[in-house]
Amino acid sequence: MLRATGLVKSYRAPSGGAVRVLRGVDLAVKGGELVAVVGQSGSGKSTLLSVLGLLEDADAGEISYEDVCVSALTRSAKSRARGRWVGFVFQSFLLLPSLTALENVLLAARYAGRDRAEARRRALELLEELGVLDRKDHYPQALSGGEQQRVAFCRAVLNDPPLLLADEPTGDLDDANGAVIFDALRSRARAGGAVVVVSHRPEAASGATAVYRLRGGVLEA
Amino acid sequence: MVGLRRILHGYAFAIAGIAIGVAGLVALGAMSERIVRFIEGGDRFVLGQISVAGRGMGMGAGFTAGGLLPAATIRKIAAVQGVAGVQPQIMLPLNPSTSQFMTLTQELVLGLDLSVPMPNRHYRELPVRAGRFLRAGDRYRAVVGAAFAASRGLRVGSRLPLEGVEYEVVGILERMLTAPDRFVIVPIEDAREQWVAKDRLLRTLLASGAVALTAADLNTGAAVGWRDAEDPDTVARRLVAEVPDVNVQIPSELSRLLRSSTAFFSALLGGIGALALVIGGLSLANTMAAAVFERIRDFGVKRALGATDLDLAGEVLGEALVVTVCGGVAGLGLAVLLGVSVDAWAGRSGQQLFHFSTRLVAGALAFSILLGAAAAAWATFRVVRLSPVEAIRRGA
Repeated sequence: MLRATGLVKSYRAPSGGAVRVLRGVDLAVKGGELVAVVGQSGSGKSTLLSVLGLLEDADAGEISYEDVCVSALTRSAKSRARGRWVGFVFQSFLLLPSLTALENVLLAARYAGRDRAEARRRALELLEELGVLDRKDHYPQALSGGEQQRVAFCRAVLNDPPLLLADEPTGDLDDANGAVIFDALRSRARAGGAVVVVSHRPEAASGATAVYRLRGGVLEA
Repeated sequence: MVGLRRILHGYAFAIAGIAIGVAGLVALGAMSERIVRFIEGGDRFVLGQISVAGRGMGMGAGFTAGGLLPAATIRKIAAVQGVAGVQPQIMLPLNPSTSQFMTLTQELVLGLDLSVPMPNRHYRELPVRAGRFLRAGDRYRAVVGAAFAASRGLRVGSRLPLEGVEYEVVGILERMLTAPDRFVIVPIEDAREQWVAKDRLLRTLLASGAVALTAADLNTGAAVGWRDAEDPDTVARRLVAEVPDVNVQIPSELSRLLRSSTAFFSALLGGIGALALVIGGLSLANTMAAAVFERIRDFGVKRALGATDLDLAGEVLGEALVVTVCGGVAGLGLAVLLGVSVDAWAGRSGQQLFHFSTRLVAGALAFSILLGAAAAAWATFRVVRLSPVEAIRRGA
């Protein structure tokens, strides 16, 4: 599903010099696989996930989704590719504060051009599966961290994307809520999706089909 | 409906900010419009007739600052080629102790010869808001200007004492935002009586019998109309050449004089208008742009979910339209509320400070929508240039 080759990414440091975060990363993830990427804080895990999800461009290298080279697409085409192929789960949930839980989930369907009624039906199913259906009309600020992340997970999978990218998905959660999210990610892989999780928590490796450590800008098995 | 409510909720502060900016713009604009209407109204009046007065500096001369215009002179004026009609008039200050210099805002008594139609091409009759205009044969009846009526609480049927005589108010003019708002219009016969009562010198002169004057000779001026296809300035110059002892106002020259005497106000208006545009515009643009920048994280999230630049631009411009229309309408309402309140207070002394014309209202709304959309478009352009990650990071 996902193939990345030779990814290079640098940032300009405040001093003016370049900080090389990724130094030629290769990664391939098939449907049904859950890949865990671990590493120290600041090692570039989140940057790798952003580049894999086309949220920012690599300086060099190539990314393909289902054999389509998406790294060479235009900005708009990349946006459409994200909507079609990728779901994101972020550490800080990133729910829109002006929308209710249900509306936040449905936001994913808006840009995919899905039928509203069908998307709403699926959103309600997902909220029920994750145990937050009774909170569907609440705004994010009225939800606990665990509830927000469950809603964010529902949003990420609403369009049934073949690739799910999770960036420290349990970073702001307690153990119980963290376990719920990891279970959901594993279920996603079991259902045939390709899942990449970046986390510093040991549970991330549990049930993963492959675990990589990002060190010095390269992935080590 | 839910979407609209959400926008109103999410942008409440932006709408309030825009409303204040637009309110300032409209309120200042309405004050400008008020002055413009005053100047334009005067200009329209003087360009609609040739004003003639007797030569001299009589106290009762009103605008024209002239002396007596006897009946014989009026007959000579009527005989000049190109003249279509002459209406003898008397213009007196209501309160003679008030300086003649202030005639633009002075309360005046205007006596009209009602047996002759009004020759002014732009005012064949003065618009009456309540009651009726004067008719030939009326005596001791008056039609009053809107500001005059408001300042004294006069209505149709009210009694108005003038020089010891009670007049019945039979009509109230529409508010014209120019000189007639402060007029008391009476039949010329009544105005002649008032003139004699006001002017001790004239009274003494008449009593002495030294000068052969009849009532018909007591006129301070005349409004002269011209025939179709005649050039009013040419007719006015003919009057100067053919009728001795008269002051003739050449319409175009009087218009120029009025405009030059109001040049200060015109400059002031330009300044007020520019100030209103800058203050209101900056406030609006800044508020709208800030409202977009505040949501930078939301845009990052939406782009992560698959929104294209076009999707976001459409959303932002749509919301900007709703926000600026709501802010504009609210600001307009605020300005009108302010204007009406101030005018209600000022109206007790016959003043009106604000005029909310259609062009002002439409212009202010169009201005706020266009500027709001431009500010939102500029801010969106800045935002969509960022990568989704950068937008999320900056908005955190």
